[in-house]
Amino acid sequence: MADGLDQAEWRRWVEAHGPKLLLFARQKARCEADAQDLVQEAVVECWQRSGTSPPPLPLVFATIQRRAIDRARQEDRRARRELAVAADQSQPWFEPDLENRELSQAIQAALAALPTEQREVITLRVWGELTFAEIAQVLGIPANTAASRYRYGLATLRKLTQQVLT
Amino acid sequence: MIEPDNEVFEAELRRLKPARLPAALRARLDQAGAEALGQPVPATEPTTGWQWWWLRLRWLAPAAAVGLAVMLGVTRIHREPSRAAHPPAPAAPALHANEVVIDRTLLTAFDALATLPDGEPVRLRCRHWIESVTLRDSARGIEVEQRVPRLEVVPISFETY
Repeated sequence: MADGLDQAEWRRWVEAHGPKLLLFARQKARCEADAQDLVQEAVVECWQRSGTSPPPLPLVFATIQRRAIDRARQEDRRARRELAVAADQSQPWFEPDLENRELSQAIQAALAALPTEQREVITLRVWGELTFAEIAQVLGIPANTAASRYRYGLATLRKLTQQVLT
Repeated sequence: MIEPDNEVFEAELRRLKPARLPAALRARLDQAGAEALGQPVPATEPTTGWQWWWLRLRWLAPAAAVGLAVMLGVTRIHREPSRAAHPPAPAAPALHANEVVIDRTLLTAFDALATLPDGEPVRLRCRHWIESVTLRDSARGIEVEQRVPRLEVVPISFETY
């Protein structure tokens, strides 16, 4: 398994892609601990399956999505309703650099207020840098649906952010 | 097709970088990576501060605990020699948790306003949760529940003019 890949390559890959994977997992999980578990499980599973090269990013996002659904099924109905309405914001979702600190807090608050379907598409598109075709594969929805969720979500996010900032 | 206003906003969003992985998760991933790739985990030993002392003196706590346990054991044997002759009480059968329910209840959600020392107002979005884990052993009719309160506070700054 994974012949030719070494620890340094793994670390570089985790350094480059880990933050965006965790950001997506935070949109799918009930709490921070679950989000971190999802990332670890998905990364290990994908690397083990990918053989001699690092796994493609859409596959890792799709694995997080699948594992998040599996977890939600194991929990009761009430917990799933809460998952849909309340994202855990106990950790900062973005790098709090000085220039964008206020904006990043406003975006996090506004993003958390969006419906999950829009939030996950925006996260995959903007910070996951996936195409709509890739997002469609990850979430198991038509590409047109992904694009329209993105459009509506982006417009709502802009309004909510302006409300928070003013 | 995305409206021009949204395009500008989209560019602004892209300027934000997702937060770096927490150190604990990075360490877990390094460990998992080493196992997945079949390689030993390289040690990342701190060179300064309390962590350096902790690494060198961490054997003290378990050693002290073992020493204390041995001392207590020896003292007990000397004090109660007759107890050793009695057969041990039968152990209770282990709990077989065939149903586990993890739940979270939102108790209250409210916003609070605060002012920083420099006069900047800050809104605090507060949520009070009760997180509970319930284990049930239906064969023996036993239910064990643990409930932990958690207060989540997210500060949100206002832009002032």
